[in-house]
Amino acid sequence: MNFYDQIARHILRCHAPPDLRGVTVLLPGYHAAQPLAQALSRVSGVPALLLPAMTTFSDWAQSIPLPTSVQSDTSRITALYQALRGHDWFPGADLWSLSRELLALMDELTCHHVALPASAEAFAAQLAAAYQARSGQALQFEARVVHELWYAMAAQDDLDATRAFQQRLAQLAQQVDAPLYVLQTCELNAPERRFLDACRERVAVTVFDLRVLAQDAPRCELLVSALQQDDHAADLQMMAARLGDAAPLHGRLRLFGAQGLEQEARAADVQIRRWLLEGRESIAVVVHDRLVARRLRALLERAQVQVQDETGWTFATLSVSTVLMRWLEALQGDFYYQDVLDLFKSPLLFAEDAAMRRQAAYQFEQLVRKHGVVAHLQDYLTVAERHAPELVRPLARLRQAKLAMASKDRRLADWLAALDDSLEILGIKQGWRQDAAGQQLMQLLALWHEELQSDPLTCSFAEWRRWLSQQLDLNTYRDVSVESPVLFTHLPATRWRSFDAVLLLGCDARHLPAPANAGQWFNDAVRAALGLPLSGAAQRQVRDDLLALLAMNDTVLATWQADQGGEPNLLSPYLEMVRALHGLAFGADLLDGELAGMLAAAQVSPADGLADGLIETVTDGGAAGIGQRAMPRPALPASMLPQRISPSGYNSLMACPYQYYARHVLRLNELDEVREELDKRDYGTWVHAVLQRFHAEIPLLQNCSDEQALQVMRRIGDEVFADALAHDYLAQAWLLRWQALIPAYLQWQREHEQQGWRYQAAEQDFSLPVTDGLWLKGRMDRVDAQPDGAGLAVLDYKTQSVTALKGRLKAPGEDVQLACYAGAIGADKSAFVSLDADKVQAVEPVEDIAELARLNRERLATVFEQLRNGVPLPAHGAEKVCGYCEMRGVCRRGEWQAVPPEDGDMRGVKHG
Amino acid sequence: MDNHQALDPTRSVVVEACAGSGKTWLLVSRILRLLLAGVPPGEILAITFTRKAAQEMQERLRDWLHDLATQDDEFVREFLRQRAVDEADIERLMPRARGLYQQFLLARPGITLSTFHGWFMQILQRAPLNSGSAGGTQLVEQTAELWTEAWQIFLDELHARPDSDTARSMTTLFAELGLSGTQTLLRNFANKRSEWWAYSAGQGDAEAALDYALANLRDEFAVQADCDPLAQLLDSAHFTAAVRALAAGLNGLLKASAPQQKLAANLLVPLDGTLPHAAAFKVLWEVLYTQKNTPRAIKANKGQDENALAHWLEQVRGPMQAAYDAQQAQQIYHFNCHALRCGAALLATYQALKQRQQLLDFGDLEWRVCQLLNDSDHAEYLQYKLDSRYRHVLLDEFQDTNPLQWRILQSWFAASAAVESMPVVFVVGDPKQSIYRFRRADARLFDVVRGFLQDQYHAVHLKKNETRRNAPAVLEAVNGVFCDLPEFQGFERHHAHQQALPGYVEVLPLCDAPDTAEAPKQESGLRLRNPLLEACPDAEAGAREQEAREFAARVAALAGNWQVVDAKGVARAARYSDIMVLVRGRTHLRIYEHALRQAAVPFLTSRRGGLLDTLEASDIQSLLTFLITPFADLALAQTLRTPLFGCDDEDLMRLARDGESGSWWLRLKQSLAEQTASPALLRAHRLLQGWLLLADKLPVHDLLDRIYFEGDAQARYAAAVPEVMRATVLANLQAFLEIALNIDAGRYPSLPGFLRELSELRRADDNESPDEGRVIHAGDALRIYTVHEAKGLEAPIVWMLDANAKPPADRGNDVLVDWPTDAAGPAHFSLYADKESRGAVRAQYFAQEEALARREDLNLLYVAMTRAKQVLLVSGSGAPVEGGWHQRIAAAMGEAGAELPANPLAVGASASPAAASTVAVADVDARLCAPLPTGSRRPVASEAQRYGIWLHGLMEHLPAAPQLDDAQKDRLRRKLNIPTTQIDTLWQHALDLLAAPELRRFFDPSLHLASANEVAYVNGQGQLKRVDRLVEFDDEVWVLDYKTGATTAPQAHKAQLDEYRTAMQAIYPGKPVRCGLILSNGEWANGKLAEV
Ligand code: SF4
Repeated sequence: MNFYDQIARHILRCHAPPDLRGVTVLLPGYHAAQPLAQALSRVSGVPALLLPAMTTFSDWAQSIPLPTSVQSDTSRITALYQALRGHDWFPGADLWSLSRELLALMDELTCHHVALPASAEAFAAQLAAAYQARSGQALQFEARVVHELWYAMAAQDDLDATRAFQQRLAQLAQQVDAPLYVLQTCELNAPERRFLDACRERVAVTVFDLRVLAQDAPRCELLVSALQQDDHAADLQMMAARLGDAAPLHGRLRLFGAQGLEQEARAADVQIRRWLLEGRESIAVVVHDRLVARRLRALLERAQVQVQDETGWTFATLSVSTVLMRWLEALQGDFYYQDVLDLFKSPLLFAEDAAMRRQAAYQFEQLVRKHGVVAHLQDYLTVAERHAPELVRPLARLRQAKLAMASKDRRLADWLAALDDSLEILGIKQGWRQDAAGQQLMQLLALWHEELQSDPLTCSFAEWRRWLSQQLDLNTYRDVSVESPVLFTHLPATRWRSFDAVLLLGCDARHLPAPANAGQWFNDAVRAALGLPLSGAAQRQVRDDLLALLAMNDTVLATWQADQGGEPNLLSPYLEMVRALHGLAFGADLLDGELAGMLAAAQVSPADGLADGLIETVTDGGAAGIGQRAMPRPALPASMLPQRISPSGYNSLMACPYQYYARHVLRLNELDEVREELDKRDYGTWVHAVLQRFHAEIPLLQNCSDEQALQVMRRIGDEVFADALAHDYLAQAWLLRWQALIPAYLQWQREHEQQGWRYQAAEQDFSLPVTDGLWLKGRMDRVDAQPDGAGLAVLDYKTQSVTALKGRLKAPGEDVQLACYAGAIGADKSAFVSLDADKVQAVEPVEDIAELARLNRERLATVFEQLRNGVPLPAHGAEKVCGYCEMRGVCRRGEWQAVPPEDGDMRGVKHG
Repeated sequence: MDNHQALDPTRSVVVEACAGSGKTWLLVSRILRLLLAGVPPGEILAITFTRKAAQEMQERLRDWLHDLATQDDEFVREFLRQRAVDEADIERLMPRARGLYQQFLLARPGITLSTFHGWFMQILQRAPLNSGSAGGTQLVEQTAELWTEAWQIFLDELHARPDSDTARSMTTLFAELGLSGTQTLLRNFANKRSEWWAYSAGQGDAEAALDYALANLRDEFAVQADCDPLAQLLDSAHFTAAVRALAAGLNGLLKASAPQQKLAANLLVPLDGTLPHAAAFKVLWEVLYTQKNTPRAIKANKGQDENALAHWLEQVRGPMQAAYDAQQAQQIYHFNCHALRCGAALLATYQALKQRQQLLDFGDLEWRVCQLLNDSDHAEYLQYKLDSRYRHVLLDEFQDTNPLQWRILQSWFAASAAVESMPVVFVVGDPKQSIYRFRRADARLFDVVRGFLQDQYHAVHLKKNETRRNAPAVLEAVNGVFCDLPEFQGFERHHAHQQALPGYVEVLPLCDAPDTAEAPKQESGLRLRNPLLEACPDAEAGAREQEAREFAARVAALAGNWQVVDAKGVARAARYSDIMVLVRGRTHLRIYEHALRQAAVPFLTSRRGGLLDTLEASDIQSLLTFLITPFADLALAQTLRTPLFGCDDEDLMRLARDGESGSWWLRLKQSLAEQTASPALLRAHRLLQGWLLLADKLPVHDLLDRIYFEGDAQARYAAAVPEVMRATVLANLQAFLEIALNIDAGRYPSLPGFLRELSELRRADDNESPDEGRVIHAGDALRIYTVHEAKGLEAPIVWMLDANAKPPADRGNDVLVDWPTDAAGPAHFSLYADKESRGAVRAQYFAQEEALARREDLNLLYVAMTRAKQVLLVSGSGAPVEGGWHQRIAAAMGEAGAELPANPLAVGASASPAAASTVAVADVDARLCAPLPTGSRRPVASEAQRYGIWLHGLMEHLPAAPQLDDAQKDRLRRKLNIPTTQIDTLWQHALDLLAAPELRRFFDPSLHLASANEVAYVNGQGQLKRVDRLVEFDDEVWVLDYKTGATTAPQAHKAQLDEYRTAMQAIYPGKPVRCGLILSNGEWANGKLAEV
């Protein structure tokens, strides 16, 4: 029999229809109102029935006005914070979260009418007795903190919410004049119990406890035996035998153990849609695991199933708060470029002009990448004024907003006011106004501002920011605009509700029940001594709620991840009990057997998706252009043939023609990375600069003493590195490295000169015709000559080691740089100069350089001739080149690499 | 071994159990026996090494208890017998055994079955308030980003104060080690911070700790400030006399040879006092010592007086060596002054950074707990605070415990003893499998702990050498390698439990590099490669590449042809997933992976960053990069080329050609406008356009889901990649989505933040959290692990690759610690740069380190070999390395060239085919594949609607008490959520309505019998309805409905009011019921009543 009918019958037995207004029913939540009303209507059989007053404890209490005002929790937390800060009890700890914990403890003490002894010593003694502990310092301290804060808070004039609730209930109990019915599924707390006791003196009070009702319902027998048990060792087989012919749960409850998160979400998605197709009109998804719920929601949206969400999200996880926190982060971090970029990329900034914001984001990113400014608003502005004038206005707005926030210590309310100003300037409020979550956030901020209006606590920006982020963590946003048969909710909210179907999501042992929140205050022995509920109470409540849910609902699927990243993951102990008992009593497993097999086929496909089965055809022919592909080998139309090539381009062509094609024909480039730290590339640049200047000053080392040369070299080094030294500490390390190398360099240069070489020029551009319409162009680090014109040498400085450079030259013709240089000026010698660690050495190819240069040039001519004739550019880079190649995603090596060659080639042909 | 003792709940036990001997079985059986003996679950603490192991134990325990509760009596009896329950007790314990399941499931507090870190977190949550652990702290697993930040802050500080001691020390370090050397050194110091803290504990602040450490070094090295040992030596007449004596002696030798005379002459050069001391010493040193600082061989010739020469040499070299050592000690000391100072400063920065953000890393956690328990008051209090004290402590894999953890356990035991609840302790482990020295585990602890437990807890010590895992053939190889190996003392011959399990071991010959001599160059002249026609000859010729090719080919041939025995003892054909490939390190993995790919063998690699390095993951990153940076041309080009869009080079060239300037995205739009785009480009444009808009609005995961869905990612990737890679690619796409999901669940998520996080993950240090290799379920694929990752795993077929590799050499710039196993902290702590700077004063420590490293290398080999259930294959490349793994196993297998034993697993086609997946595919309602539009979104209330709602609310509350003071008014305002800006207008409006002449009789209580607001009723159809106001007069009843801002005619509401009328008529049968609308605003006059 329906539990509501049972209740309706009871009420109607005592009160005649149609006017039941003289009765009050206390509900666990308003969801129970409708089924109760319907039961009353059904049982009474009258065409219209004036309903009893139906309310909840808190709403009813709220109707009683109080003479004094109630202090908000917001300002109580700040009071606690101030007390903690004043005491300096917890150096380095996050006092906001401590305050919050303490507040909860205070409320709990209040709620359970705990009276602490008058002196801290007495309290410590009480604790010691309860802990059965010797009274050490740690215990004394715990007692003192709690005791002192408790009395400090109790001394406040205003009532707190818990006390207000108690007072209201007390007053209410004196006014109650209608018979009272209470729907209950879990233990009432102390004030509620007291209230009912007081009511009983004046009126009839009837309590309907679902747990009790279930005990008498035959269909719940198994559930009751499985779940209303304590943890003593009981014999399951005997329990099963006692169940006799109780109704099995088969068909009413199924369990699905998923292989991982995705499968759980998919199973839930498919099941929900199956229920919808069956025409079920209310489907509750009870969420124990938020992650799966999020995934599930996305899957449902694929099928255009919207979800009504009673659970909500904390503001900290919403993008409306992201923009706010980015802004504060930028402020605190002196406008570190990533924070600014994040800010510019947030759609809620400058909401009145999205195009302008996007433009600003684009320009700012360019600016940072090009000019290497990575922090300080003023620096950006300075650079922007020179290079990107359009960016000045948005940046100036940031500055204006920053000014609004500029201050050291303020009261929380004043910080909020300043924040409000800055957000207005940044156009963020405008963005929020167009967003439901944004609107709520704005209301919240305004509310806190109001509540803290007279709060005296002043704090720094950082403290305030921590306060704010805690607030955002604590408050939840619910999107109330969706109406749907599919409802996400949580377990306590299902009390006394029945649905067409219920899906319990995330029912593993970790989530159901959630671990007891032991906390740092007290243990069970102390809690018992003080009269507080024990740590297991919350879990017992979860169990009761689960029992109630299973008792009220006939179609339930519970899912969990039986396997999580290769680790086994246990089912909730409660469900485990139900399952085991059911198995014993009825020989049937509650595990679902069919869902897993449906998942693959029951996926929604997109409008233009490849239909199932198409995969095969695609693989064969590539109708949709996405079959397996072969190695790409594009042929260039004449119009795209490059007309110049640099030695490094030539090198790329050698390494992999496709890479050359992507870099130099398609002209795809990696974006410059924003470089925050100096690296070897900077070092190379500086060393080049130093040497260029050094030889310009002292072309012939012979004429100058070591001492002198060293001095000049050091001076130039200091000058070249000066800029970097000014703003980067690491430049020093690089400079030291260079300085350590100077003697070796001078030594090498002397030996070089002894062979008759004379420095001639640095940074020489060259341009060499290769064929009609193709020029080889580049720049040489340094050119030397024999005094009588007997020889020319090209030198190229490298910071690589000799071994690495020898490796580059090992196979002739693979690294073309030296050969290109030699060819360009007809040099007799062409060498890398390795400037590595503490050694300087020239590295030359073993082959005859003139010959190499000639062949090199001829080959280039041939290759371009072939390109002109349509010979394609294959993507056949060597494995180690590919390892560092930025074009891997364009050539798709890896996708076709494993295609067996013959096969691949044939497909390539078909592709045309 | 006797399980009676091992499972006796009343005894403390130490079990040394070999690999595969069923440690988990033993430990879980012990827990079961404890429960059986009536121990409440909350009193059991079991600690194991990984979270996975803990979960598996939970699962095993639950399964067993489930069986005990549900199987028949005979099963239960046998089960208990197997767990060494006395026959006499079995019947008595049966009922309890049956009830344990329920007890285990419902007990609160339950069993603590956890890792050290998990348990430490629990301890911290219960930590006394004054222990410095109050307030919410969060455990961070990834610290790479924090390190980068700390390093940056550290540098900024140095930059700001270039004259500080630290800055000066840094300059010295830069000069001596270079930038990266300095970075490595300081980072290594910070990694050893627990040791540093333990070493300098109790010294007060950082400065004091530094002084303490340096003073120790001074004492230990006998360093005297302001003393120049070289000067002392050269100024000593005694020494110069000895040198002269040597020179004279050399000259005076019988028939002194020319080199001897020259030596003698050289010896005298530095004695003339013209050179500075250091230079003089150097000359002398080079005469008598080699470049490697070993004594030069100076031998007597035939007929010369050998002894005399040796004596003279000794007289000179003795003091020289001493001076040299003293000087080096001084240098080491100075180096440490700088290095420790900088290290401590960097560490302080890192700690402060975490403190500011309330973060705790694993190292901090351990140290915090250690400190906490070290304070006996805190430790004791903690015992009191527990809801249930541990009476039984079980420790798994004890060989992997580090000294700090042991110290924590010791303190815990001590505190338990102090509150008189000394636990019974069960320790199981295998020192042979200790391979975590890099995470500071110390296998020597095992013996220390054994001694401790035997002493204090009267523990029994048991040994297990029977394995349930390996086939006899594999064990033979194991025994062959390790029996009688002096460095592997304590090894006892292993025995196989499954005597009949077929097995096979083969050591493949080492692949040698094909003639490394330069390929013969044609003398006839140079020929250069044409890059268009000829691919670059890969370094494929190398020996390792050859090994890789052979490996891949062999593996491909083996799958489906060899026959393995599955977990249930049934023989079936081997699958790829039966093969586990082990390597020592990840350095060369790329080469082996390449070969596997070439051979079309599906594989999963645990290579860190492996997921993020895959093409598909890089595709998604490119796409997302493009969405937030639309001018990222390369990202867009890659996106177009992905299977999502499948554009070809024609398309790319079209875009490259179209317009020389402007981003590719603009060009794509352009080509659309000019109608030159291909279908693929059209589709790309349409979808990308949509995603660009969504990227602004959706959280990352939701955005990705839309992309996967609308882009049909799964199907398209499945179609585009080769069969063998399909499962892996799809799994990777999925894994990527899950990363996004996790990040979205965090705080303040954003797309740029997500991409940044990814690049951090990619850069994350390899050492970061190497506990568990990530396993994805991706079909039938071979798995590649490092030996470390494979710990605790097993496979029918194990292939040890690259087994000829040398153990990694000490790379220098590191910390030298000596932590005696019985001490509370290290006895020595210093830093060193490279081999040369080790110094004689520290030689003993380095020798000890080397011995430990050698032993660990053997342990690693033991672990690797024992992973194999049936087949062990070993390959390697290069010249044979003496003492290398390959050589050792090969030696154990007998003479090279000897006939291989037959392979009992290679049964060819007769093997039964591998079973297909077990999930039966169900028929599916076709409607499940189509959208199912459900639910609707209410539009946001308009300004007018909200006004109406507020007015309605006021009307509901006002009539009862129109006279409100300001405070009450404000409370009502808040209750109704009316903004302050609106309240006055609304208030007046409501009052106007109440006072309207036509309406007064409905609101003035003196003018009617009864009235009520918001009257709820239920009609015969079970519908819940609510009447705004019900007023009863002597002769009639009125139902009033408020309409604000209504623009429709009153008659439009007739149906609604009729419903009210019918219902109320049933309730007031004696009086006529009349209905009216109270109108305000709109085109209807304010304060009017319209009867309907
Ligand atoms: S990844 Fe390799 S094949 Fe592809 S373009 Fe780069 S070098 Fe060429």
